[in-house]
Amino acid sequence: MDHARFHRLCGACAAALLMPASASAATQGSLGTTSTGSIAIGASVPNRVQLSGLSDVSFTNQDPATPAANAQNVCVWSNTSTKGYNVTASGSGTGSAFMLANGAATVPYSVEWSGSSGQSAGTALTAGAALTGLTSTATNATCSAGSSSSASLIVKISSANLQNMQAATTYTGTLTLVVAPE
Amino acid sequence: MVARGHTAAAFVTRKSGRGVRQCAEGRAAAGALAQLAGAAAMACAAAGLLLFGGTAASAASNKVRMTNLSDVAFGTIANLNVDAVRNESLCLYADTSSLGYNITATGTGAGGAFQLSSGAGSMAYDVEWSSAAGQSSGTQLTPNVPLTGQTSSATHQTCNNGPAATASLILVVRSTALSSAAAGTYGGSLTLLVGPE
Repeated sequence: MDHARFHRLCGACAAALLMPASASAATQGSLGTTSTGSIAIGASVPNRVQLSGLSDVSFTNQDPATPAANAQNVCVWSNTSTKGYNVTASGSGTGSAFMLANGAATVPYSVEWSGSSGQSAGTALTAGAALTGLTSTATNATCSAGSSSSASLIVKISSANLQNMQAATTYTGTLTLVVAPE
Repeated sequence: MVARGHTAAAFVTRKSGRGVRQCAEGRAAAGALAQLAGAAAMACAAAGLLLFGGTAASAASNKVRMTNLSDVAFGTIANLNVDAVRNESLCLYADTSSLGYNITATGTGAGGAFQLSSGAGSMAYDVEWSSAAGQSSGTQLTPNVPLTGQTSSATHQTCNNGPAATASLILVVRSTALSSAAAGTYGGSLTLLVGPE
C-alpha cells in the first residue's frame, strides 16, 4: 500500500471515529389523515450500591465474664447483574483499627459480616480490607420493598477484652462501612 | 406554476389567518412572474371574498403532520434517586376546523408498554404530552390510548413559518424504576400517531 493511499484510508477511519456512535433513528411524520413518527430512546444505568438501615451499637453494663455481641440487620442493595458487592470496614483506632477509646484507654472489638439477614455470626472483617464475593437479595435500594434487610452486621467484644476495661467508664468509637459493587 | 400553487393554497387555508400570509406570498411570486400577476391578484381577491363569506371552515383538509422529532438519550443516569426527565419540542400541525388533534403513543414493551430493555432486563418510563412547546411536564399518556382534545398553534405543516414548535414530548424514567433496574444500557423506541379532531 503506497503512502498516499494509506493516508487517505487513515483519514477516512478518523472521520468515522469522530461520527456519532449511531445515526438518528427518529422518523418524521408526513402530512395525511394521520401522521406517525417515532424516536429511539436510550439510557444507561451505572453500577450502584446502597447501604442503609444501620443503627448505632451500644453495650451497656456488660458482664466481663460474658462475651458481648450485637447483631443488626442492614440493607445492602446492588444493581449489578450478579447483585454482587464487597464491604470494607474501618474503625476509629490507629490505622483504622476496630477500637473503642476513653482517652488513652482503649479496647478492641471485632466486626463480622454476613450476606444474609438475621445472622448472629458471620465472616470476620479485617480493618481496611474488603470482604468480597457477597451477594444481595435486595430488590429495592433501601429495602422498602421486598425483603426488609439483606445482610447482617455483627459487632463483638471478647470476654478477655471486656475484663481489661475499666468499670463505669464509657468507651466510644466509630465504625465506617464502605460497600462497593461487584 | 408558482403563482397557481400559492393561489390554490389561498383558497384552502384561511381559518387561522394562514390565508392572508399565503396570499401575500402569492403576490410576491406573482410579482416575479409579471404575466401571472393579474391571476394572482384575482385569486387573492377571491380568497378575501371567501373569508368574509364565512365558508372558510369547510375548507379544512383534516390532515395532520408531526415533525421535528428527535431521538432521546438519557445518557448515563448517575443519580438513581431522582426522576430522569427529557423533553423535546416538536411541530404538530393540524389542519382541522378547530386545529384539534389527538395523540397516541406506543412503546416497545409487551402490549405497547413504555419500556426500555437491556437483554432480558427492562425499565419502565412514562410519556407525557403537552400541546405547548418548551414544557417539562404534561399529561401522562397511556400506551395505545389516544390523548384527545389537543390543539395546535402551528400555521405551517413543518413549522417553517409561525411558531417553530407547538407541542412537547416529555419522557420520564422514575426513580423507582431506576433503583430497581439492573445496571446496563437500555434501549427502546416510541411511536407516536397523530389524528385530526
